[in-house]
Amino acid sequence: MTSVLPESTRPVGPPPPFDAELAAALVVIGEQMPSSLTAEMIQPMREGSLLADLSDDDLARGGAFTVARRMVPGPAGDPDVELLILTPAGAATPLPAIYHTHGGGMIVGNNRTGVEVLQDWAAEVPSVIVSVEYRLAPEHPHPAPVEDCYAGLVWTAANAAELGIDPGRIVIAGASAGGGLAAGVALIARDRGGPALLGQMLLCPMIDDRNDTPSAVQMAGLGVWDRTANNTGWTALLGAECGGPGVSPYAAPARETDLSNLPPAFVDVGSAETFRDEDVAYASGIWRSGGQAELHVWPGGFHGFDMMVPQAAVSQDARAARIRWLTRLMGM
Amino acid sequence: MKDLAVRLAALDPDAGAALRVIAYFDRLTEARAGLQTIVRGAAVLAGCPARLADDERRVQVRVQPDGAATPAGPPDPAWMSAPAGGATLWLERAGPPGPVEAMVLERASAAARAVLERTRGHAPHPDPASVELVLDRDAPEPLRLQAAERLGFHTTDSVRAVALEGGAVRLIHGAAEPPSGRAGIGPAGPIGELPASLDAARTALRFTAAGTDQDPGPRVVHADDLGGLALLAAAVDAGAGPVPDERALDLAAATAGWMLTTLEAVAEAASLRAAATALRVHHSTLQDRLAHIRPVLGWDVRDPAGRLRLQVALALRRLRLSRS
Repeated sequence: MTSVLPESTRPVGPPPPFDAELAAALVVIGEQMPSSLTAEMIQPMREGSLLADLSDDDLARGGAFTVARRMVPGPAGDPDVELLILTPAGAATPLPAIYHTHGGGMIVGNNRTGVEVLQDWAAEVPSVIVSVEYRLAPEHPHPAPVEDCYAGLVWTAANAAELGIDPGRIVIAGASAGGGLAAGVALIARDRGGPALLGQMLLCPMIDDRNDTPSAVQMAGLGVWDRTANNTGWTALLGAECGGPGVSPYAAPARETDLSNLPPAFVDVGSAETFRDEDVAYASGIWRSGGQAELHVWPGGFHGFDMMVPQAAVSQDARAARIRWLTRLMGM
Repeated sequence: MKDLAVRLAALDPDAGAALRVIAYFDRLTEARAGLQTIVRGAAVLAGCPARLADDERRVQVRVQPDGAATPAGPPDPAWMSAPAGGATLWLERAGPPGPVEAMVLERASAAARAVLERTRGHAPHPDPASVELVLDRDAPEPLRLQAAERLGFHTTDSVRAVALEGGAVRLIHGAAEPPSGRAGIGPAGPIGELPASLDAARTALRFTAAGTDQDPGPRVVHADDLGGLALLAAAVDAGAGPVPDERALDLAAATAGWMLTTLEAVAEAASLRAAATALRVHHSTLQDRLAHIRPVLGWDVRDPAGRLRLQVALALRRLRLSRS
């Protein structure tokens, strides 16, 4: 007889082990980056040196990219949003575009955060990078962040020619909270008949405010961005609605029951992180709805392992897999 | 939150950094990480390319600080380095190492040595049929040399046979460290002499002990170190004994739990003081025990003749226990 217990009440085993090389690095990272973040830690984090910004010189990479900023219209009645636009120098246009929604738990970061990873992609798959500055929670709860991101995408698609972008080859990409925003923007674009996206790149995306999957339970207090930290982020975004019945799929894409007619998705996540099960479920949901998705679950990976420990063998594989997907998607 | 990039290479050269280096390689060693991972750790933590070379095993690993493995040219003698068993670990940076670099060299080389020691025992590829052929006296010499080549040995290599518990046999380079665990090590020599090396290794294995309180003694014995004691094995197998001293040992063992470990320590240590240290007892405690031993055993193990008698009795006891 098979188990009749519902998923949520089946016992959860011990946490999966971290990859050995990542675990060694976590000894170093853990001192600077607690697993659990609470609301009172948001402001110190914003001011802390951990989120060291890339300078324009860094972004230019010795002239490989031109760096520009544009203020473009935000959602109706809301302030403009700033787009950071990085264009590969000397490449023949029009180019594909990677539209970037940065990570930071919905509560920290800016449009330079994590953009160096996209620049590595653009070095392999020449593309214009457009990174949106959205308003952060808790000062600006849902729907401000995701609507800012969507507004920036609409402007980018409408002004593709001016930016040297092929409007038929725009991929949206984000990591962590940025992955959740990318998934949310893809849902909005579908539902509103907005810009057609060539693909959605969801890197360890934060998509489920219910925060109660087996992986969320297993990894509590461990690794990076545990259940407590996740609760801090979601509560900042959703306030009292967090975890309740009325949360919009645009805020928490795991809530969406219809995942049909979405652009092909790339989803990756570590086996030893809070987001493992919600991210696997999202890829499964896309397949169930008849869509296309490529899913990678990297063994022993904690949240953001590839960015914090880029030299590790598993990180190198994770980064290579993304570039291979992009190359196939872009038809290069 | 994937945006909190932490660059391990940015470690400050302070005491905290050294502790993190220790913790880093401890974790890798605990998890039995491989050579590539260890050398990569050295490169990342030191912020310069690192490499490990073991000419004998033909191991060559070079990693850049970004984690990419790249081919290695000849090493620069000015680089800082540390031995790692038979191998050498380099940081590709000239000059005397600073505190963090010194710690990286020390810890990475220790971790690499542990891997090499662990993997040497079954290096390069255990191929039972080839091992059997190499050790077969009756097989033609060219076939045996070919089999040795398949096992990764040159025809001119100096090789030794290692006998392990349960009848397993390993072949290792003459200068390589033996595999871990209970082992008899045969003499090194040309491949043609390996059958004799194995015979000697099997005899040496019979002189090993479990290394426990019930069966104290060395877990690894080199045939080269046995000298005339090796003849005792043939004598025991030919039906000699047991001699009364063996019975006296068994009787003594039954009188106190510390008896065999104490006798073993007295037989092996350079002095009674060293024996007390090895036993982790006070010198006066050992003296008390020796006073107890004398009437039970029937002879004094403190004088040279008594010590030799004890060593022979212990050897005979082991040989009889391991008699096939």
